[in-house]
Amino acid sequence: MPTTAIQVPVVAARNIQVEASDVQAIVLRPRPKPYRGEYVILRVGDAGQGREMLRRILPHVAPAAEWWVPSLPGWLGIAFTFEGLKALGVPQASLDSFPIEFRQGMAARAAILHDLGANAPGNWEHPFGTPDVHVALALYAKDDETLQKVLELARKAHHDLADISVVYRMRFGELPEGRNPFGFKDGLHNPHVEGSGSVPQAGSGASIKAGEFILGYADENGETAETPVPQELRQNGTFMAFRKFHMDVAAFRRYLRAQASSPEEEELLAAKMVGRWRSGAPLVLAPDQDNPELGSDRNRNNVFSYTDDMKGLKCPFSAHMRRVNPRDALKDEVVAVNLHHFLRRGTNYGPPLPEGVLEDDGAERGGVFLLIGAYLKRQFEFIQSQWVTDGNFISHGTEQDPLIGNNDGDGVFTIPQRPARRRLRGLPQFVTVRGGEYCFIPGLRALRWLAALGSCS
Amino acid sequence: MATQTPTKPEKDQAEKKIQMLRELYADAPEYGRVALEHVIERMKTEPPSGEETSSAGRTGLRRGKVSELTIVFPLAPGGAKRFKAVLDAGGNVNTPDRVGSVHDMRYVFLDNDTRILFATTYDGEWDPYVDDFASHIPDDLDAVFCNCEGWPGIHSPAVKDYIAKYQVTAHAWYVAQPNLTVRDLRKLAKIGPAVEEFLDKIA
Repeated sequence: MPTTAIQVPVVAARNIQVEASDVQAIVLRPRPKPYRGEYVILRVGDAGQGREMLRRILPHVAPAAEWWVPSLPGWLGIAFTFEGLKALGVPQASLDSFPIEFRQGMAARAAILHDLGANAPGNWEHPFGTPDVHVALALYAKDDETLQKVLELARKAHHDLADISVVYRMRFGELPEGRNPFGFKDGLHNPHVEGSGSVPQAGSGASIKAGEFILGYADENGETAETPVPQELRQNGTFMAFRKFHMDVAAFRRYLRAQASSPEEEELLAAKMVGRWRSGAPLVLAPDQDNPELGSDRNRNNVFSYTDDMKGLKCPFSAHMRRVNPRDALKDEVVAVNLHHFLRRGTNYGPPLPEGVLEDDGAERGGVFLLIGAYLKRQFEFIQSQWVTDGNFISHGTEQDPLIGNNDGDGVFTIPQRPARRRLRGLPQFVTVRGGEYCFIPGLRALRWLAALGSCS
Repeated sequence: MATQTPTKPEKDQAEKKIQMLRELYADAPEYGRVALEHVIERMKTEPPSGEETSSAGRTGLRRGKVSELTIVFPLAPGGAKRFKAVLDAGGNVNTPDRVGSVHDMRYVFLDNDTRILFATTYDGEWDPYVDDFASHIPDDLDAVFCNCEGWPGIHSPAVKDYIAKYQVTAHAWYVAQPNLTVRDLRKLAKIGPAVEEFLDKIA
């Protein structure tokens, strides 16, 4: 590691093309649409068997260069927790070189992430937060039939290996119209990764240096990560925060009903909390009422800035979308927003709660988010601790994200308006963490390096 | 500790602490021993303040939302002269306004200008924001701290370790408003006059 303060200008970085054939598709490509899928978590009880499983599964891991090829039945991504890398027999020097937050794991970081109360690791589903989570598989397909084929491929990779056990499975799938359980069109924004080969989406903002999202390239600080070691393991890999959320849709609807005096006002309050109307139309562009045409227009629905809404009169400072991706809203602050991005790959699970129902039906529903970036600490952990579960950065005291904060019946949500701001009080917890893990997503050559570990020693 | 009715083990502990204090003060001057007895009397009747002190990230103390950072850096040859000149010119002293989370800062030259004590009170933790500072106010930091022996530069990956090396955690520390951040205070400073004006109008 250099100890002198030499700032190398990153002139060449513009020309660097990310080696998409070696990066896992799950990192760089949006999930298929429509989609069906399953997350499978494996425990590796024997390093040799773990590596055998890896060798078998390798040919089916999708590279970013070939995502969504209609002739293939489905797609598979693979990631490892720190415990998983240990279980596969990764050398100690290599294990020690991983960042502290990854070595500790998400559960151990609960105090930093403000995963308290109902969100505390003690309340998570088994096996999240325990040392039994080793390998996470994400399997995607376009329908149930093809999903079965991909699942079969995964099963064959370990079915005759006695020390590889399936410790968790969960099915996911798209809801009608591609909405999330709360009824909002989402997943409309992701930062554009420079040199990744994808066309920037309208409104995604300035391209972000590849090194923010993939190890082995220059990042926004002009530095190229030198850990973990060796380079064969690091190159084209990245980290992911896996978060499974339960969404209490009935509580959300009841809260809106109680706060509003008309269905129109309910919709407005919901949009104020999210930052977009249900159609996806952003408040900054459609401040007074939904504009479904705008919402469904991919060339327009993400093209906005907060420069002409610096008082938050259209989109509140505290709105979920403005918190997790402030764009230019914090341009007058000493905050380098370009250092606090992640790639967000969301999937939904569970049945939709039928329209108009205000009582919970007891069904498990929500979302699983893969929040991907090269630096968990200054990306996911920063966003979660400073922007989602605190309000000081927007001079809102301890006010949290109205949608995904840890509000427990005592939450507050500030809506700037004239002559005086409105404050909603008594916000319950709409979203609860069901579990989470920090994972390393190796590149394809690195997967082969892992699979070959035993053979050289 | 803040409970009004301490459980028995806590009471025993408090008694033990007082006993230890008295033993330590056996060698102290007479007026010191008398003063200590008065302090002990007061401690028994006055409950301790609500906010407990905890650790703020790497080192340093935290009370409520506020943290302290105390550092004693060695100065480079000729560093003190430059350091004082840049401070006198206003360099760095106005930066906290922009940062928005710094309550106070002080620079004290020690040991015949060979070391400098830097002490500050700030909101939350500095660790999450070090990268932001390096990106947004690198010159404000490098212009003053380059005068310290071995300062690696704010862009260096070694800077966090350098700071930690010379950081000394305060032994005791008082904060009047541990639950008000600089941003909270600024807001209150604005709201106060507005409320007075409102009351003037309706009176």
